Amino acid sequence: MPEVIIPIGPHHPALKEPVNFKVIADGEKIVRLELDISYNHRGIEKAAEQRDFIRVLPLLERVCGICSHSHSTAFAKGIEEIMQLEIPPRAQYIRTIVAELERMHSHLLWLGVAAHEIGFNTLFMWIWRDREAVQDTLEEMSGNRVHYGMNEIGGVRRDLTPEQVNAALVRLPHLEERIKKYVDMVNNQETLLIRFKGIGKLSKEEVLKYGAVGPTARASGVDYDIRSDDPYLAYKEAPWKVVTDTHGDVYGRTIVRIGELEESLKIVRYCLEHLPEGPIRVTVPKIAPKGEIFSRYEAPRGELAHFIRTNGTDKVERIDIRTPTLANWTSVAMCLVNQNLADIPVIVAAIDPCLSCTSRITVMNDYDRKASSITMDELRRQSRARFQRAERL
Amino acid sequence: MTNGLMVDFVLDTMKEFGTIEQIRSNRIRISTTPDKVHDAIKRSRELLKCDRLITISAADNGRTLELIYHLTGPHRTVISLVIELPRDVPETPTMSDILPAGIYERQIHDLFGIFFKGNPNLEKIILNEDWPDNEYPLRKDWKPDPGKFYGGIKEERI
Amino acid sequence: MMDTVLLLVYIFLFPGFLFLLAYALVFEYLDRRIAARMQHRVGPPFYQPFADFIKMLGKEVIDPDGVDKRIFDSVPLVALAAVMTAYLYIPIIGSSPLAFQGDVVLVLYLLTLPTIALFLLGWMSRNIFSAMGGIRAVTQLFIYEVPFFLVILTPALMAGTWSISEIVVWQQKNMWFVFLQPIGFIVALIGLQAKLERTPFDIPEAETEIVAGPLTELTGRRLAFMHLTTDVSLVAGSALISAMFLGGPTIPVIITPIWLSWIVGFLLFLVKTLTILLILSSIKVATGRIRIDQLNTIGWKYIASAAIAQVAIVLFMSYRWVMA
Repeated sequence: MPEVIIPIGPHHPALKEPVNFKVIADGEKIVRLELDISYNHRGIEKAAEQRDFIRVLPLLERVCGICSHSHSTAFAKGIEEIMQLEIPPRAQYIRTIVAELERMHSHLLWLGVAAHEIGFNTLFMWIWRDREAVQDTLEEMSGNRVHYGMNEIGGVRRDLTPEQVNAALVRLPHLEERIKKYVDMVNNQETLLIRFKGIGKLSKEEVLKYGAVGPTARASGVDYDIRSDDPYLAYKEAPWKVVTDTHGDVYGRTIVRIGELEESLKIVRYCLEHLPEGPIRVTVPKIAPKGEIFSRYEAPRGELAHFIRTNGTDKVERIDIRTPTLANWTSVAMCLVNQNLADIPVIVAAIDPCLSCTSRITVMNDYDRKASSITMDELRRQSRARFQRAERL
Repeated sequence: MTNGLMVDFVLDTMKEFGTIEQIRSNRIRISTTPDKVHDAIKRSRELLKCDRLITISAADNGRTLELIYHLTGPHRTVISLVIELPRDVPETPTMSDILPAGIYERQIHDLFGIFFKGNPNLEKIILNEDWPDNEYPLRKDWKPDPGKFYGGIKEERI
Repeated sequence: MMDTVLLLVYIFLFPGFLFLLAYALVFEYLDRRIAARMQHRVGPPFYQPFADFIKMLGKEVIDPDGVDKRIFDSVPLVALAAVMTAYLYIPIIGSSPLAFQGDVVLVLYLLTLPTIALFLLGWMSRNIFSAMGGIRAVTQLFIYEVPFFLVILTPALMAGTWSISEIVVWQQKNMWFVFLQPIGFIVALIGLQAKLERTPFDIPEAETEIVAGPLTELTGRRLAFMHLTTDVSLVAGSALISAMFLGGPTIPVIITPIWLSWIVGFLLFLVKTLTILLILSSIKVATGRIRIDQLNTIGWKYIASAAIAQVAIVLFMSYRWVMA
């Protein structure tokens, strides 16, 4: 077959969020890839410049659903450092607990999605059922399954009652057992092994050359993990270790993520058992002094970097968010060349893409606020016109 | 955990590029100029052993446009190289030959209008394809122009 | 006259088309229910496949730009007709009244028509995803068809006849082929799973890669008939394997009077086809999808060699018996 352009996206069952990969393929092998990630762009960085600190935290939380706590903690941590505040230990522990629970729910979600991408729906159903234990805990603690709203500048907004702590501790042993079973499955189940091993391989030099972060990088032996490189919150006190692997392919990334699941469970258990008493917030000045801070945080997908500049008012001057998925796109585009078409969903899913994090801008232009409705024929005509325009490009 | 870089060691190696200050225990800031920044990055890769680019941040401080390259390495210290560019002609050579900077440069070009000389592919990545040219939304002096069309489907009234 | 009426009842009512359609929908229900229970879910109620079929018949039929409407309309019907006809030649309650020498070849031929239909639909859809799905369907056909044909024909070799009904009678007198040719049975099951495009062989319809494969552009009644074709193929395939390997509607005891043997035969047919469905559903739930090039390797290395080994064993055995 001659070279064919296969559009993966923006609407495609393999993608959870819209992204446009124009894959140029020769039969079943991929020759080249063109990337367009503008579909989820919402204008958050510009909007954050017009809101004071109390209002910008919920905005930043909604950058992404799955790593919402990462964004708000990274920002809160940065602003607290500019203001030179020290938050009480109980608040730090509560933030850590929510952060690690979020990492667990994100990795379990990813594991199910990876199984679904290769057509193994049974594993997908089982894992998502176990993920409900984590979601129930988070809902008890914060009232919500995503977008927890636990953070504020100077501490956390809600306290944990002893009943919530006990309920969470009771759920952990069953989850630990199920995770061990999934380790066993990943190592021994035939179809998982042949679809994951050897796919999307990245060597250690390539990881550093393309700037990959998170489990994608740690699967190739690069042991960057912000929780140990630049410790924050309660990570210095809880016993845990960085999980790396040397395979470098999708199988290695699976092993790293399951290993991180086990470590997170240990951290959550430690923090729940050793929760210190005390206040959960400190009073915060309204205005931040002029300064610049580079706040880094280990989100479930990798290293999240917030570059914050303040200018002596109660708003930020500039916030520049570099999400882990943005850093990983280059490595995906590079390692997709010369792979099979059938492996695209697996390789893209292996970096755990979160496109809402990646594209954060759209402009809503509402100067003409009059109501109008479009008929079905008009919609059809417009969508056909758009498709024909895209075909001609 | 390896030890961080000592500020004196960084001062020695990089002193001709510009001013150096230590902001935090593990972050060192170096201000330099656009023509020297390529060599500065090369030297930090070789001598300071920075093998990873964290990100390239861009900011508009009202007078000029700033670009900050954040690098790190096994020593776990963040080296931030800051350059300033004039607003009317914001141009700088690309770093994509020595760093995986392609995706960041494309994004910054879309949002701020900074032109990276030598970058082979500066197409739109983060703004939609019908966004008008020469509108750089993240600059401080940008306001949406009601006469222009920024993408999406035009709503028609019955 | 009576014979003609009985023949028409056999073909159209029971155990012919009406029963076949009802049984196909029950099979789909059982398949989905078993899969759901194994995945710790509840699963659909028993009228779900019927409701799906009726609903889809009422949906709008959309023709993509430039596609030949007549082919799109007729190909699903041809596929459905092919598998329904194939079913008629398989013994359900006793020997099939339409049996003739060579009907095993006819049944095998008719059962491959749905795959050709998928390829045609995929190619004519003017859609890159459908074309790729169609190509994958035909590639898969080349890989599993040879072993599948070989192991369906080895019972015919051993029984010395080319009619399914007579093979069933031979098994009643001697032994079921599942004991005489176990390798053949396993290869036949794998081949049936591949023919029906179920996991791990559902490459042509891989939802996460190519939307819905060759069926992407089908809507309304066309899609309803293609789904019904898949269900009927499942029944026909299970019936074929139960007739060739498990003795069909017979047990080694001859039952008189004849109407009693029909009833017992029908019950045995139900039990045996349900067993095969259970095996196929378990395989579907317990595995993930493999890639087409991996199927190529596995197919030619293991499945084809097993089939050829089976044929060699059968030839050797019949040589020994003839010589002895």
